Amino acid sequence: MNELFPGLAQEIVSGVALGCIYALIALGFTLIFKATEVVNFAQGELMMVGAYVNFFFITIFLDSLGFGNWPSFILALIASIGFSVLFGVFLDFAINKPLKDEPVFSMIMATISVAIILRAVVALIAGPITLVPPSPFGNSVIRLGSVAISTLDLFIILSAVILVSIFYIIFNKTRWGLAMQATAEDPMAAGLMGIPVKKVYRNVWIFATIVATIGGVLLAPRTLLDTNMGFLGLKAFPAAVLGGFGSIPGAIVGGVILGVVETISMGTLSFHFHWIKEINDVIVWIVLILVLMIRPVGILGKEEVERV
Amino acid sequence: MKKTALFIIFAAFIWTGCEKPSPGVSDSEIVIGNIQDLSGPMKELGMVVPHGSNLYFNYINENGGVHGRKIKMLIEDHQYNPQKSVAAAKKLIDQSQVFCLYNVIGTSPVEAIRPILDEYQIPLIAPATQSGSMSDRTRKAWKMIFHTDTGYDKQARILVEYALGENPDAKIGVIYQDDDYGENVLKGIGEAEKKHGIEIQREGFQRGATDFSGQVMNLLKGGCTHVIIGGVVKEPIIVMKTAAAMNFAPQFLGISPTMDHRVAIAAGPAGEGFIAANFAQLWNSDVEGAVLYRELFAKSGSPEQLMGMYNFYGFITAMVMVEGLERAGKNLTRKNLIRGMENIKNWNGMGVFPSISYGPRDRAGSESVVLVQAKEGKQKLISEWMD
Repeated sequence: MNELFPGLAQEIVSGVALGCIYALIALGFTLIFKATEVVNFAQGELMMVGAYVNFFFITIFLDSLGFGNWPSFILALIASIGFSVLFGVFLDFAINKPLKDEPVFSMIMATISVAIILRAVVALIAGPITLVPPSPFGNSVIRLGSVAISTLDLFIILSAVILVSIFYIIFNKTRWGLAMQATAEDPMAAGLMGIPVKKVYRNVWIFATIVATIGGVLLAPRTLLDTNMGFLGLKAFPAAVLGGFGSIPGAIVGGVILGVVETISMGTLSFHFHWIKEINDVIVWIVLILVLMIRPVGILGKEEVERV
Repeated sequence: MKKTALFIIFAAFIWTGCEKPSPGVSDSEIVIGNIQDLSGPMKELGMVVPHGSNLYFNYINENGGVHGRKIKMLIEDHQYNPQKSVAAAKKLIDQSQVFCLYNVIGTSPVEAIRPILDEYQIPLIAPATQSGSMSDRTRKAWKMIFHTDTGYDKQARILVEYALGENPDAKIGVIYQDDDYGENVLKGIGEAEKKHGIEIQREGFQRGATDFSGQVMNLLKGGCTHVIIGGVVKEPIIVMKTAAAMNFAPQFLGISPTMDHRVAIAAGPAGEGFIAANFAQLWNSDVEGAVLYRELFAKSGSPEQLMGMYNFYGFITAMVMVEGLERAGKNLTRKNLIRGMENIKNWNGMGVFPSISYGPRDRAGSESVVLVQAKEGKQKLISEWMD
């Protein structure tokens, strides 16, 4: 037992960091879903684009203008967020506006197409080679007893918690949030009540792009930069469903559960039970199905009761 | 007498007529087909590797070609998908009428086109994979495939033996990708276990994984002093960083795909001392072939970022292709190419390879590796050829 504990503690900490990465992507899914009832399958690719744009800015600030590590990082982050705002407006204009009154399927197909196009365009511009982004966090590690966590991972966890809290407050405590909820419920009624529905849609796309960019910026030094980075979105999707699709805290709860399950099953469980190794890639899905059998709406999802 | 002479002339006529020229060969040109991943998960290599091949083919063409024929390489895209690889091979053979296939990338895509190689009796020279299954004589169309690189299985065994040489009581672990690549690594690991009577700890990961905390934790718990990494570029970097964060510092050893200079740069202090195996000398070494490569690259005015191990890989496999074509002789047929390849004995491609020999029942080219160690962010050669 004494031997088991430090290993398990380390795996849980690493799993939480991994889970927070899923949470950052899942949050993007949730934001768009909450206001438009559409699943944006390009969320992972938005993250990838954000990471590349940030890489572009950071090399300008670092190499061409000769700023230090931290100033370059912060300036590049601000510039990338500026880019995300414009990119969010563009996506709203290109996907949401023409398709918002069409069947949801058209919109979902459009987001899948955007994902594929973004991958191709980025590969065309940036080249296909895996890039190693500079990071101000370096390789520093914080140790608590036998458990170690890198500064970068700590930042990822903090950012996920802060972003989830901010959007939770926006959605539940502000007029804007109420407007978004109303729009999702019934866009026409919301419009009639004086809610600027078009603006709400646009803002949601901007928010989702910003969240994706921040995720990409934090993630790139950990996973390195290539155009397949967006495939992480496919892992974040079950996290969003597990947490309860459409629930903002659910994104982080689902992400962390899946992250921890993944790390422990690869680690301690596989170490003691060799057969677990054979089913490692399906364990996440088994957990998802078990949870959905007990709570079909996900852990923090709200059950909708339709009254006639 | 007259009748006999006529008969001999007639017979000679028929005999030369039988050996009709293979498709893809004219008096001035040889067309060869290459299948790469131009838009799939390994597209990183799809652009870089053939560029290196063309560097060498262009050099040969400018110097008069092979027996007066210039080499032209056509490239198809398979997106690393075995089914698309079959379609691409058929297109190259049926529509583009290529003479032979060359440098097709990926273990599974090559395994998928074995039936086509068999059906058309078309040779495949230097498939771009280090899987030992390429030169396996129990598989279909084995006669058609001439493998250049040292197999992953052999590399894994050599690395285990290197670790045991360093420390006879070494506790060795391996972290492998859960696919064809990993399977071939494990084959070598299994052979080494049997040969040396040891047990090696195995930890797998899925292709595309970005977190290895669980596996690294297990290797730490297993008390490993040496860890062999069967990954590509990202995996060794993340694995070594994760281990460093856990204060776990075994000697890390990598199979050849990890021999990328970015590994040493990106892993930082965690990657210091990382040893990777390679089946050829480095692109920035002093051997004649590498010097020629750098010269031709500089002359071509290609973008700097292409230069490096993958580009050089295209270059050196092109050397194997050209050597085979040279030895096939002026009368170029697919059968003669196979004969020409089989005639390659103790050839080292301007010092780039260990001594390579093929034979009627030998399709494995290089069977040795050199070890390359990361020191202060740079790669240094630390061994002679080992086998």
